[in-house]
Amino acid sequence: MGVIRLESVSKRYGPNRWVLTGVSLEVPAAESVAITGTNGAGKSTLLRILAGLSRPTRGTVSGRPPVVGYVPDRFPPGDRLSATEYLTHLGRVRGLRGATARVRATELLDRLELAGGARAPIRGLSKGNAQKVALAQALMIAPQLLVLDEPWSGLDAAAHGVLGEIISEVVDAGGSVVFTDHRESVIGAHAAHRYTIQAGRVTAVAGGGTIPRELVGWPVDADRTASRQQPADGPPGGQDGTALPSACVVLFAPRRARPREVDWSGLPGVVDLTPVAGGVRIRVTAHACDALLLRALRAGWSVAEVRRDAAGCEARDGGAACSR
Amino acid sequence: MLALIRYALASLIHSQRYLAPALLYLVVLATFTINDQGTLAGVYVVSAGALLVCGTWLTVTIVNLDDPVQRAITVSAAGRSRRVLAASVGLAVLVCVVLAGVGLVFPLLSGHHVITSAGLVTGAEAELACAFAGIAVGLLCSRLVVGRPGYSLILALGLVLALPLVRIPPINPMLRSMSGDGPAGHLVLPIAADLTVCVILSLASALVTQYFAVRRD
Repeated sequence: MGVIRLESVSKRYGPNRWVLTGVSLEVPAAESVAITGTNGAGKSTLLRILAGLSRPTRGTVSGRPPVVGYVPDRFPPGDRLSATEYLTHLGRVRGLRGATARVRATELLDRLELAGGARAPIRGLSKGNAQKVALAQALMIAPQLLVLDEPWSGLDAAAHGVLGEIISEVVDAGGSVVFTDHRESVIGAHAAHRYTIQAGRVTAVAGGGTIPRELVGWPVDADRTASRQQPADGPPGGQDGTALPSACVVLFAPRRARPREVDWSGLPGVVDLTPVAGGVRIRVTAHACDALLLRALRAGWSVAEVRRDAAGCEARDGGAACSR
Repeated sequence: MLALIRYALASLIHSQRYLAPALLYLVVLATFTINDQGTLAGVYVVSAGALLVCGTWLTVTIVNLDDPVQRAITVSAAGRSRRVLAASVGLAVLVCVVLAGVGLVFPLLSGHHVITSAGLVTGAEAELACAFAGIAVGLLCSRLVVGRPGYSLILALGLVLALPLVRIPPINPMLRSMSGDGPAGHLVLPIAADLTVCVILSLASALVTQYFAVRRD
């Protein structure tokens, strides 16, 4: 999937009410972008244009993938269909077979822990639960572009975590995610790039998200290449031959939970990994350690130990461990 | 497309908003056709005229079923907004065909008529012509074109009264020709032409509606 590009996009409602003027931005593949701005600044309009639901009055949008998941800021309560029926119908609209759509709907509602009953009419659900249904409909098939308009609004704490996982999964699968939110902590945790809207104009915020890209598990080719160039039995090294600081992480699968499988060796910065009883020991470059830990926690793994340097890892394992 | 029509049908059934126009149609049929002894073509003027009103009402209901935000979600799932509108039109046609079938059979059971194939074909053509005219009017009066419900109602009432009462083709001349005592066989071809015009009108109305829907987004 390529880059979604907005070039000089303007949007006018009515004869003279310009909501956006000359907006140019890019949404790279496999990355997450946050849009911030005050109420009424035009964030939702921008998202609707990105999702292909609204045509710009001027300017062009290119590179939009065919499968777009759109989650509005509010899910209208008027539907008398149950959550499962609604999702099954939308799954069919997206090309799934009825039985497959029903299974997928059940999976998503279970994962999001919908309360109030998957068979109860949507109009009877609380705001947060209706928002979960809105989120589920966008994921009935894996979206190549996921557009989320204040998606955390009304969600409970557990669903916040699941939504974070979902964003990571879409990005890991090569898709793009664009979302709006007002909280710095949320933007920092989930966005690699950040734009802000003011008076209809969009500007990139320097530095994008406040955390490194690696933290949310993006496949950074340079990092991966660097880690694969390192000798399997030696310490991770820089291009000049100097050893980069590394860490040893021990993860284990909790007894009552089933953590998802993760391709640890494919993650950025991973140097070595060794299976241990009930888990895995991973040696990772220090700068990618946080990303690995976040990824592990999101996948349901527990962190048993984090040591600062690889030497400790090897010493603890009698010097024989940490070979891939 | 079938999935979209199925979704719209499920929403329509759950909303129960089809009941009022369907009941109005049945009440009009019962009131004006029970014990009727006129010509077969003449009695179908009633069912066709009623279908014009109910077709308009049902089309507005079907297109307006989804809240604008929910429609945006449906459009996102379908990929293109015109697919969603086409599904709404498809469902309106489907429901009107069912009502036309009822309107075709009910007068035969409730009244006393000489049943001829030409009379039946004339009746079916007239009912479908009025149904498509109703769909054309309903689309133009839907939320996609007219944002405010009050204006939508006034526009719809004006058009469904004007079409049969004002001497402009195709509905008024068609219904007038059916009210006469002439043989139904002579009406089959002219009313088939009227039906064709009404189908074209409904397609044109769908294009105009889609234009406004995109513009308003």
